[in-house]
Amino acid sequence: MDAPDKNPSLLSGQTAHPTTESAVASAAAPELIGLVTHEDVDRARDRWEVARARSKGRSKKFGGFRLLWLLVGPGVLVFLGENDAPSMLSYSADGSRYGVGFFIPFVVLTFIMGFIVQEMTVRLGAVTHRGHAELIFDRFGKFWGFFAMGDLIFGNFLTLVTEFIGVRAGLGFFGVRPSIAVGGALVIVVAAITTGRYWTWERITLSLAIFNGLFIPAAILARPDWHAVGHAMVTWTPFPGGSRYEILLLILATIGATVTPWMLFFQQSAVVDKGMQPRDINAGRFDTLLGALLASVFAIAAILATVPLFHHGINAADFQAAQFAEALEPLIGHTGAALFALGIFEAGIVAAIAISTSSAYAFGEVMQTGHSLNRPLREAWPFYLTLFGSACAAAALVLIPHFPLEFVVLTVNVIAVLAMPPALAFLLLLVNDPEVMGEHINGFWANVAGVTVTVLLIIAGLGFGLATVFPKWLGG
Amino acid sequence: MDSHRADISEDQDALAPGDVPVGVKSEQLTLHDPRAVLSLLEADQVVAAKRRTHFGRKNLSLGTKALLWGLRVYVVAMLVIVLLSVYQAIHAAR
Repeated sequence: MDAPDKNPSLLSGQTAHPTTESAVASAAAPELIGLVTHEDVDRARDRWEVARARSKGRSKKFGGFRLLWLLVGPGVLVFLGENDAPSMLSYSADGSRYGVGFFIPFVVLTFIMGFIVQEMTVRLGAVTHRGHAELIFDRFGKFWGFFAMGDLIFGNFLTLVTEFIGVRAGLGFFGVRPSIAVGGALVIVVAAITTGRYWTWERITLSLAIFNGLFIPAAILARPDWHAVGHAMVTWTPFPGGSRYEILLLILATIGATVTPWMLFFQQSAVVDKGMQPRDINAGRFDTLLGALLASVFAIAAILATVPLFHHGINAADFQAAQFAEALEPLIGHTGAALFALGIFEAGIVAAIAISTSSAYAFGEVMQTGHSLNRPLREAWPFYLTLFGSACAAAALVLIPHFPLEFVVLTVNVIAVLAMPPALAFLLLLVNDPEVMGEHINGFWANVAGVTVTVLLIIAGLGFGLATVFPKWLGG
Repeated sequence: MDSHRADISEDQDALAPGDVPVGVKSEQLTLHDPRAVLSLLEADQVVAAKRRTHFGRKNLSLGTKALLWGLRVYVVAMLVIVLLSVYQAIHAAR
């Protein structure tokens, strides 16, 4: 339901700047005067910019771009954040083991699935102004809430560990010592969160995230066969051969590289922190679509960059990031390999920021403490402590000698897929709840798409389970 | 508040210690004026309002409970299978 305009003169475009008189005249909740916080002021500043852009957008030919620039953020961040170190390694495994074929269009399909579910979080956040964890606790109670949180925190922490593995491995290609690589990554995470302003944090993280595009020049240097790429996109062939169990595992990991629980929690909380309102939903959809498009292009680039390994028969079954880059060096050159390694580093660092923020948002929502990047450290120290503490713990694990890093990387995307159906069930129940969503409740086709994604994930998970328990069933 | 809000509990003293009220300035528009801030935010977007209003608990139907329990069992079973597969992978590697 669109809430009524608090200041119709401002938002209708007649006046770009609210006056005190118009503010007083429109004060929707006079009892709240005196209770306004630093967080509210920062959010109002963002809304003011949006209102001015919306006003100017009606009068200028390209004024709408300013509005989109202001409202783009959570969607792009969530998808480029999910193009994280283990995801890029999954795509690299697809390319190096099976070449150009089935996995290229399959990756596009997974991003369509990702868009379908992430769009729902935009509506939930913009309409309710509540985070995902908070809504689950409110509507389903603590019992189910703690289950959802358990899945999230467990999955987030494992994923966070893999991000620091990516950071370590990516910079390892350049000879950077693990302690310096991981310590430097922590400094970047801290630098991003100490701004005390959601807007600044978002722009810093976006400017880092766009370097996910480093996989594009790496792919170009690999000289892909564009005709084969086009053929694969249309026909979904050649279908990968070999062990069906391994193919199933890679399919699961590839889905897990795009659709994971932390994305639901993160984007909804970021939409709330950004202060988006129901009238911004279309911009939020555009933001989410843009993120899905960019991330799918970068993911395909990662596949194409590693296809030369497939053509040269190099077994990449157990490769980690640095090994991929080292193996690629004689095939696509030092520049291409360096771009690949830098891309893995970037993927790790952006995801570390996004995932630790996702955990902190959820923790703050459940504990009912301040949970906004618009809050200064002294006002929301449990929020920032959770964010920084989870990043520190994950970073420390990566530095422990003989820690089973491969075990974590191997399982993290698979666990993400397996934990997704319950998260999607909560999401679908919430977006179909008229008391929560008002007129923005899910339509028929949104439900068909959401249920289809959920069923596909369950089938993929069950297939993996059956193939594990009965390996001969798939000839494994 | 929005008409579709459920179970609004009033707790006027629910402001957390960190929610420092901002001083009011008159005559000129400034975001130090809380009235200007409130004019830009939806009523249920203000931190103090969010603290004292919550969506009430939803009554879960038998079907919904069965679905949630089924998915919970699914996750636990699948996690056991993941552990099994990792054990198999490590065993095979040796």
